[in-house]
Amino acid sequence: MKILLKNIEEPDYTGSIQDYRRKGGYTAVSKAIKEMTPEEIVEEVKKSGIRGRGGAGFPTGVKWGFIPKNTDKPIYLICNADEGEPGTFKDRIIIERDPHLLLEGIIITSYAIKSHQAYLYIRGEFVYGANRLNSAIREAAEAGYIGKDILGSGYNLDVQIHRGAGGYICGEETALLESLEGKRGWPRIKPPFPAAEGAFRCPTIVNNVETLANIPFIINNGGESYAEIGVKNSTGTKLFCLSGHINKPGIYEFPLGISLRSLIYEHGGGIKNNNKLKGVIPGGSSMPVLASDEIDVSMDFDSLANIGSALGSAGVIVMDETVDMVDVSLNVAKFYAHESCGQCTPCREGMPWMRDIISRIKDGKGKKEDIDTLLDITYNVEGKTICPFGEAGAWPIRAFVNKFREDFEKHIN
Amino acid sequence: MSKENKTVTINIDDQILEVEKGLTILRAAEQNNIYIPALCSHKNLTPFGGCRMCIVEVEGMSGFPTACTTPVEEGMVIKTHTAQVQASRVEILQLILSEHTSSCLICEEKDECKEYMGTIRKAGVTTGCRYCPKDGQCELQDLVEKLGVKEINYPIYYRNLRVEKDDPFYDRDYNLCILCGRCIRVCQEIRIANTLAFKQRGPKTVVGPAYDRTHIDAGCEFCGACVSVCPTGALSEKVSKWEGKAEREELTTCPLCGVGCQIRLLIKKNEIIGSLPAEDPLVNNGQLCVKGRFCVAELVNNYQRLRKPYKTQNGTKVEIFLEEAVELSAEKLSACSPEQFGMLVSPNCSNEDLYIAQKFARVAVGSHNIDTTARTFYGTGFNAFLNLMRMAVPLSDVLKASIILCIGLDTRFGRSVVGVELRKAVERGAKIITINPRHHNLTMIAEKEFQPVPKMEVNLLNSLVMLTEKKKTPTSQFRSKRTTGSLSGELSTVAKMLKEASAPVFLVGSEFLQYDESPQILEAVEKLARNVSAGILPLPVQNNLFGSVLMGVYPEFLPGGFSSTGKERIDNLRKRWSADVPNFSSQWNAETLSSGSRMKVLYFIGEVPPNSRPPSDFLIFQNIYPPDISYEPDLVIPSAAFTEMDGTFINGEGRIQRVRKAVDPPGEALPDWEILCRIAQKMGIKGFDFSNAREIYEEISSLIKGFGDFDNTKRKANPMICEGELNIPETRPSRTKKADKKFPFLLSVSVGEHTYRGFPLSTWVEGLKKLFTEGIIDINPEDARKTGISRSDEVIVTSAYFEKIWSANILSEQTQGTLHVTLPQGESIGNNPHPVKIRKKDV
Ligand SMILES: Cc1cc2nc3c(=O)[nH]c(=O)nc-3n(C[C@H](O)[C@H](O)[C@H](O)COP(=O)(O)O)c2cc1C
Ligand code: SF4
Ligand code: SF4
Ligand code: SF4
Ligand code: FES
Repeated sequence: MKILLKNIEEPDYTGSIQDYRRKGGYTAVSKAIKEMTPEEIVEEVKKSGIRGRGGAGFPTGVKWGFIPKNTDKPIYLICNADEGEPGTFKDRIIIERDPHLLLEGIIITSYAIKSHQAYLYIRGEFVYGANRLNSAIREAAEAGYIGKDILGSGYNLDVQIHRGAGGYICGEETALLESLEGKRGWPRIKPPFPAAEGAFRCPTIVNNVETLANIPFIINNGGESYAEIGVKNSTGTKLFCLSGHINKPGIYEFPLGISLRSLIYEHGGGIKNNNKLKGVIPGGSSMPVLASDEIDVSMDFDSLANIGSALGSAGVIVMDETVDMVDVSLNVAKFYAHESCGQCTPCREGMPWMRDIISRIKDGKGKKEDIDTLLDITYNVEGKTICPFGEAGAWPIRAFVNKFREDFEKHIN
Repeated sequence: MSKENKTVTINIDDQILEVEKGLTILRAAEQNNIYIPALCSHKNLTPFGGCRMCIVEVEGMSGFPTACTTPVEEGMVIKTHTAQVQASRVEILQLILSEHTSSCLICEEKDECKEYMGTIRKAGVTTGCRYCPKDGQCELQDLVEKLGVKEINYPIYYRNLRVEKDDPFYDRDYNLCILCGRCIRVCQEIRIANTLAFKQRGPKTVVGPAYDRTHIDAGCEFCGACVSVCPTGALSEKVSKWEGKAEREELTTCPLCGVGCQIRLLIKKNEIIGSLPAEDPLVNNGQLCVKGRFCVAELVNNYQRLRKPYKTQNGTKVEIFLEEAVELSAEKLSACSPEQFGMLVSPNCSNEDLYIAQKFARVAVGSHNIDTTARTFYGTGFNAFLNLMRMAVPLSDVLKASIILCIGLDTRFGRSVVGVELRKAVERGAKIITINPRHHNLTMIAEKEFQPVPKMEVNLLNSLVMLTEKKKTPTSQFRSKRTTGSLSGELSTVAKMLKEASAPVFLVGSEFLQYDESPQILEAVEKLARNVSAGILPLPVQNNLFGSVLMGVYPEFLPGGFSSTGKERIDNLRKRWSADVPNFSSQWNAETLSSGSRMKVLYFIGEVPPNSRPPSDFLIFQNIYPPDISYEPDLVIPSAAFTEMDGTFINGEGRIQRVRKAVDPPGEALPDWEILCRIAQKMGIKGFDFSNAREIYEEISSLIKGFGDFDNTKRKANPMICEGELNIPETRPSRTKKADKKFPFLLSVSVGEHTYRGFPLSTWVEGLKKLFTEGIIDINPEDARKTGISRSDEVIVTSAYFEKIWSANILSEQTQGTLHVTLPQGESIGNNPHPVKIRKKDV
């Protein structure tokens, strides 16, 4: 069952509007705009049970429902294409190979939330992707899917690309909003949530690329048939990004609920050089690592949460027995120290301390107490920061220490 | 359910409280005396939520919400001091301290260190050994104590940032910064100046102007608001950084310009250690400009302050006691005939000083020969300026105006509090129109700006006058930057805007005041204001100019602003004072000081007359600083500064404002009125037995309407009464030659306006030398290129009448073919503007 890679996996598929239409593209837009009311679309998406693919897994239809009724302010849709999570490269594939799939999702969603202005906030480094999207927007406009009076319905929509300037934190939705407004990319204090007060203080929906790319399917086939894919509470298919010590790294689409073991050994071709598996990060660098005996887990939102990790962005990073978890955690800690926005104390000060302490341990200069200090910091950060970046940096470190403590101790003795 | 929906009922630490809706948990707790630690929050600023010290637990909310950002809600149950919250706060504080040079906070030696580490204190902030300038006032210190932090689990990490000392008035040591963002928010939200911002990211985050510019280059106004809100020693005042905490405060009025800001003097051991804005909503609303904020302490504490009187005997100074000085003065003055006496008083003096000064001249000496240097400052435009002052409206009218026309106004350094009001007005939707031949700081907020070349201002204003009357097409040439169509089109637009505006206000600054055509310019402003029913607020440079007119320290004016030629008025005064008051008019004034006939006694009170000693047998110099050595007064008497006396000023709006004694005057110095009273009494003159300023004030209020109670002067602005006019020679010098082949540039001059009691402030306040530059000639880049002049070159400026050398500043905002220079008060070049030629020195 393929929804997102269906076109991309076709050998001659170029991603042009002709190709996309040949594959049945833009039928969902016609159906949505001509035959459905915005409320019906929201209802359909609620029925599909789809949860956000940006990391937090919030039910998409429910989020759309938070837009205040009868507001006299403009409403904005923002597609979050900032994809900065280490180990994650799924949105990029959609943007570069099937941009019209994303645009169709954006148009339907804008219509559903009554927005006339959509922004595509794209990671600064995705130069090719931004160019690709720009020409796709032009094509779609020429074909009458974007612009004034779309398909003769009287509905208007403008889609604009906004390129980021190189901050991981700008993937966090409120930092993204600040950046979009031309300000420093710092997360906002919530509430108010973007649906009430977002871009330019107006109601705003922020959705991930992959989330939006699912919408045409839901409209074409109905929410219920989407809900039949996957497992309870985690419906639909999901893009998994396999990387690390694995024979067949790459991007895979499977219904949610596939087991991590089969993902690695069956589809990913197993561990490189037939080495033993040491650990695997299931959802991008922000999510706690799983030990080799935890990989029989079902890859869905609830199952991973139950064992103390999370699906996150589904960036699956595989590490074999040659890996020293001190190196990995240093790498991760360096990333978070570098990317912290600096606004709140625990994160701004805590991340560099984690980095420095791990670095000290790695250099053989660590003390016994350092390991506990490290754990202490993770607790001091957790729940006390403005945005979830704090946890994103603290949780993985805690898991590395807890699950691979002997690696750390080895450096100390 | 809550009463009228204005309040909500909440529970903080088991106390049931009814609090205002919309408050944050932190403010609600504060109002009920419940302490929640907080660092980044500040009562006047929007919540930031960065430091995380104020975390609390709220039933039904996940995690730890911050009290400073979470609004109260009906039925909220809040716990502020659970064990977990407390422990987390200690941890968070430790994280802050780990990056703060904080050994001073937890060092066991701290008390000893305070006593013995005198040298380190003077060396500035080092890597964390005690002493930080904020010692005793640091909010981190407070928190460390309140939370009982004894040790830090993290090693101290010194960021090793360069301590920024390049700017005047304050140093910035960002090694001590905790990134609370208060300075940035005050700069953006309250001052609307946007000089400061966060730069870099994460642990590298620093505060400062963008692109690492200095504050001067970034457009900072040096209002010091950032320094005031900084909870740590990161921002500290250069002059008083090691003074520690003030012991007490005194509320008084700033004497450094006619705005009349209310300031809080900070006092320690009978010394002024600083000044902060007072929250007076009528005047400065918690704001000050660089002068009021940073210059007061330096001004009154300078080591050169006069302490004892001295006389000059055979060319040498002989220090004497005050009593002898009084006797000597009395002797000389008793022997002086009214025509041979002249007194110059400063419009920086209090009303009480001024009142006594004129009573002294009129009663003790029997002469109307009393004047101020305001006459020379405003020159031929003085009457026109007084006319505008008669029409003065309160500054708060700016808040109501839909259009504000700013004439010759710049608010970057002086009067920056007015600039804040203007920026607020713009945020509110008001439009600013500026007319100024020079570059100024209001261009950024101006809807329309006119930059007429010198000598064209009158035409421009007259065109507006005509356009607001009848339909007439003006013909004139001048520059208007944003014009796309013809200039007359632009003028018609502005005229239309003014006519249609609701309650327009005109603010008059000092740019045109020294021009030959200033009377015509000011008259045109007055006409224009009448045409469009605008309120006018001239912003006088001299803080008590209004008071000087009302007290009658001019040959032409009696107390109450009445004309001294009115026989009835004189008779009335004679009755009131039970004394003889001269009935002949005076030929003498400040303009004739140097050119007129030799006087027997000249008495200068808080005034420093021009260059050389004016012809006189006996010269008394009474001031807070010694005179320039170029002329030797026969007698020097030390005065009290405004921080050392009681009294009142009247600001440009006509508001009577209190001056309060904060510290004792140095040595034998006394308030001017007191010295004068002693001399009068020594001369045997009645009517000078005052023992304090209040008694004088009471006599003033018995003569002049609208004064009221000494202790309760904070009332609404009075209109200025001033009957008659000053005798100003009718020289209409507008036949100033135009630039020609021989002298191709038109040079305009303004006079250094930042003075106190006759001295330029920059004489005593080091930092001002960087801000108020004199003797620097502004040249348009194209003109500079043609004449081969570059920045800082010495430029020889020649006219038919003079040759001067000034230093060059290349400025694109200076109109081509024109030049500008600011000169110290008293220095003049004759006609202004003046055709000149320029060349680089040594070429
Ligand atoms: C530190 C941080 C980084 C994030 N980066 C991204 C990102 O690169 N792309 C993304 O779609 N969401 C990212 N998110 C999640 C967004 O905040 C937001 O939840 C998401 O875009 C919502 O879309 P969804 O509901 O479709 O998942 C990030 C969140 C955090 C806390
Ligand atoms: S948690 Fe980190 S990234 Fe998020 S607001 Fe605070 S400092 Fe910035
Ligand atoms: S300089 Fe002071 S006020 Fe500004 S952020 Fe740093 S600590 Fe806060
Ligand atoms: S604006 Fe004038 S009165 Fe106010 S602080 Fe500055 S100098 Fe003083
Ligand atoms: S005071 Fe609330 S977070 Fe700083």
